[in-house]
Amino acid sequence: MKENFSDVEQRVKRYWYVDGFGELVGGGGMCLILALYFAAQQYFGDDSLIGGLLQASLVLVLIGGMVLVRRLINAAKVRVTYPRTGYVEYSTPKNKVFAGILSGVVGMIMAMTFIFIVRQFNRIDAMVAVTGVVMGIILLVKQVWTTKVKRFYLLSAVALIYGVVLSVSGFPRGYNLGLFYALMSISFAISGGLTLKRYLDENPPQTDL
Amino acid sequence: MSADLRAVTTLDRLIHEPARLLIVTILSSVASADFLFLQRETGLTKGNLSAHLSKLEEAGYVQIEKTFKGKLPLTVCKLTSAGKTALKTYRQQLQSFMEQTG
Repeated sequence: MKENFSDVEQRVKRYWYVDGFGELVGGGGMCLILALYFAAQQYFGDDSLIGGLLQASLVLVLIGGMVLVRRLINAAKVRVTYPRTGYVEYSTPKNKVFAGILSGVVGMIMAMTFIFIVRQFNRIDAMVAVTGVVMGIILLVKQVWTTKVKRFYLLSAVALIYGVVLSVSGFPRGYNLGLFYALMSISFAISGGLTLKRYLDENPPQTDL
Repeated sequence: MSADLRAVTTLDRLIHEPARLLIVTILSSVASADFLFLQRETGLTKGNLSAHLSKLEEAGYVQIEKTFKGKLPLTVCKLTSAGKTALKTYRQQLQSFMEQTG
């Protein structure tokens, strides 16, 4: 056996990403929802009733989007992935809720600090810059370092570049965030689509089930 | 010869077999995995994998369940508490032996 224990464990963890559905449906879908959300918010304006409702419903949009996307990913995997290369159920970390809350709090503190610093430079759209940096860091730390899926290096760099470029682009500030998520949605869709194509080419349907 | 070195003779032979070691290592990384996934990851034939899983199930290290995910029938394998303990003990014994002789 040439692999050691951690190589085997890493390979098993990477299996969730083998079909590209995480990026295609998860990343692409979630970013599309957010792109539409921020575009709608900008279109209706903060002073309108709909604009106000949209502002108040961001958390609901996020939670609802995540639930929808998770169901879509599971449905896609049941139909496409599990019959071809098998089913895996991953363990839920024991301290998942606590870790999630802690990560959220740390992330918010970092984001607010960064926004404060960047806002000293009036020409920069701080919100989109921070969004790009935070997404880039999340992709790098969570995806690359923990699962070692190498294409997330590229997505991490893309998020950083989009955030930085849009922050100094001079576009109307309200649309920058929607544009950022639209571009990330396209990037996730391309990455996930190419991965899915390769997966389907390498793994034809099982004929002896 | 120290007790740690002698302990290598008490390694769990059931887990020590390479194919079964790979199976329990894969199952230790997940909550459960189905037969097809294990077959692809281990490279074993269906018959071979089935035989190894039977031995692990008889020893109480693996639990096997036939179930459905939607309309898809699955044979799902899960490492039991006894299996997790056995793997942990095996790894500790092996690591200790390697450190003593390294």
